[in-house]
Amino acid sequence: MKRYLTLAGWLVLGAMSLQAQTLSAFKSGEDVSKLALSSKLWDKIKSDTVIVYPQTTVIMNDKTANEVSANMSAKSLHVKSVCDGKNVAFLIEWSDTTKNVQERRDSNTYGDGFAVQFATTKGALPYIGMGSEGRAVIVHLQKVTGALYEPNNAQDVFHQVNVSNQNAFGKDAKAYQEAVAKQGNGDYQRTFIAEGFRSMTQIRDASESSVMEMNYAKGTWKALLIRPLQSTYLSLSGSTPVAFAVWDGALHHRDGLKRLSAWVELNLDGNRMLNPAFAETIGDVKNGENVVMENCASCHQYKEVKNAPEFMAPNLSNIGGYGNDSYLKESIVEPNGVVVPGYNLNAHRNFAWYTLDDKGVRSSTMPPFSHLDEKSINDAVAFLKTLKAEVK
Amino acid sequence: MSQRQLAMVMDLNKCIGCQTCTVSCKTQWTNRNGREYMYWNNVETYPGDGYPKKWQELGGGFDEAGDLKPGVIPSLQSEYGVPWDYNHDELALGKPFHPDTDPKWGPNWDEDEGAGDFPNDNYFFYIPRICNHCSNPGCLSACPRDAIFKRDQDGVVLVDLDRCQGYRYCIAGCPYKKIYFNPRISKSEKCILCFPRIEKGLPPACAQQCVGRIRFVGFLDDEEGQVYKLVKKYKVALPLRPDYGTEANVYYVPPTEAPPKFDANGKIIEGSTRIPPEVLERLFGKEVHEAARTLKAEMKKRKETGESELMDLLIAYQHEEMFRLDSNYYAKVAKDKGLPPIQPVDTRYSSGKYTSKMTFSTKAVHS
Repeated sequence: MKRYLTLAGWLVLGAMSLQAQTLSAFKSGEDVSKLALSSKLWDKIKSDTVIVYPQTTVIMNDKTANEVSANMSAKSLHVKSVCDGKNVAFLIEWSDTTKNVQERRDSNTYGDGFAVQFATTKGALPYIGMGSEGRAVIVHLQKVTGALYEPNNAQDVFHQVNVSNQNAFGKDAKAYQEAVAKQGNGDYQRTFIAEGFRSMTQIRDASESSVMEMNYAKGTWKALLIRPLQSTYLSLSGSTPVAFAVWDGALHHRDGLKRLSAWVELNLDGNRMLNPAFAETIGDVKNGENVVMENCASCHQYKEVKNAPEFMAPNLSNIGGYGNDSYLKESIVEPNGVVVPGYNLNAHRNFAWYTLDDKGVRSSTMPPFSHLDEKSINDAVAFLKTLKAEVK
Repeated sequence: MSQRQLAMVMDLNKCIGCQTCTVSCKTQWTNRNGREYMYWNNVETYPGDGYPKKWQELGGGFDEAGDLKPGVIPSLQSEYGVPWDYNHDELALGKPFHPDTDPKWGPNWDEDEGAGDFPNDNYFFYIPRICNHCSNPGCLSACPRDAIFKRDQDGVVLVDLDRCQGYRYCIAGCPYKKIYFNPRISKSEKCILCFPRIEKGLPPACAQQCVGRIRFVGFLDDEEGQVYKLVKKYKVALPLRPDYGTEANVYYVPPTEAPPKFDANGKIIEGSTRIPPEVLERLFGKEVHEAARTLKAEMKKRKETGESELMDLLIAYQHEEMFRLDSNYYAKVAKDKGLPPIQPVDTRYSSGKYTSKMTFSTKAVHS
């Protein structure tokens, strides 16, 4: 405990904000795989605050969504985690004034949702937005959709045809509709593996099993995720990176329109082993602002600085919220380390964020800024860490 | 751009708005759950709000710099229209006949209304619309998942339903609003140009069923084909709203043969036309004027000499000659690519690959 406090003290000193960078999983003798949102065990566990920031790296092309989610604030998640040596469970709470469900009878309603992301690699952090080449992530995602059906109704075309096209009336029509209803499979609840956004692939077998649950009451969402520590792609132990995201259907959120956290260190066994990827940078913010203005602003927009054309490069307005220091440093010195997927290559033909060779290898179009001295880089990172929305 | 491009030409001078195409598509494809409100093929009255309502004002497509423009995703309730049904079952019990909802809008709500003052200068015409299978598709460019792709063999634009996660940016990106959200499967769906039929040498259902024989289907590079002749040789078939910059591959012979206007005394105003040329220019670009001249000149030539290849094409004496498809070509493509044979439920595209970067034959055109 003393060791933890010392470290926490160090983190506060080095950090630009008081955001908890480390989640310590509660050690439980109870089998956590059987937990539910209503389990008593959660009352014993202290929650940590994780702040999620609006994704502003890319601007999507949905005019209505952009209008309703303009100037989005950051949001606090209250996260509890518990580990029994075999499974880890999270209870995530956040305030939301409305419960939004993706309507079955409409084309432009969106459900609230949440996701928890894990890194499959131990060393450098994967890109926060769905991992990066050679640094895969596992994402557990739930959206409030109600019953969903498989495309082509999983080959059962007969039950895919609308009732008005069946030669059935009265009781027969009702029976047919009941048979169709049985084929729905509940909320959108998926697990993905991804090495960068576009490679996101749904895991359909049991190789990454999980239990997810969401419940809304009194202006608060409570979400549960339980998953094993050991699985096909993950081997979680000691200190491991984890990240969170939430979607607000009222703001037309889906996909990149969301709030997300930076990678947060999750400590599973109480042994504090500082992952160098989480080390915080100390730098001169004022000088950093100048470094960023001189070196970055001709391509990147951030906050009120809009010297660069709109779609030229990632917008950095919230990069301090969801970008970890080590990632920012790496991106400056070696942009090819993590290639930001950005827009569809055909959406903004004057500005490709990466080039793609015949073998599908992506190279960032950003040149490395490794010529900058260490102080300038640290100062720039310190400034970039200040770029984020306020919590409201 | 795909290696080859299949295209459709629709002759608007001949479209009678009978909706047989709409029904053929509805019974072939969109009679499935979640597709009730979708019309992959619809026929709308112009001037009119169209389907979805005021689709031309909902954004999408590209600006002059080639940047995808933001767009609006129409609401099923207010823009597409909720499909309603009637209480037929209850009529035998003596209950009054009524719809099961209170409809406020739907496809063809403003059918045949048109514009102008009856009977002097009122006018309207029909525009049948399917997916344009664009060379620079707005839907494809908007997809952050690379779930939409364009087939090399014929340029048909398809959604990979495995990759699609129902984000709906494609709907905002398509300026024609011809890609739809299926809320039951939470994925986007669209006209597939009846590719399972095409691969067997059959035209799309909408084209085959067209009683007015307005639809031609063929490859744009097939110089013997009617599509090539109408689009490239005579240049009388033009894409709808070329200013959207998507390089649409459905072409229209513009409705140039409108009747003349009447004056205040009900007399014909010689040389007048009810459809204002600026309306046609807005829809089909500046090229529409040259197309109109060509059509008039060829009509005149036909009247005087009895000969005109263009008029013979547009008259369409033999329906089957309007379609230049080749099942052998597709069989060869399937063999070369090692594709499994086509199945009743086609699974060849259920796990896609990344979209390749498009190359552009032309820059975005603005008229």
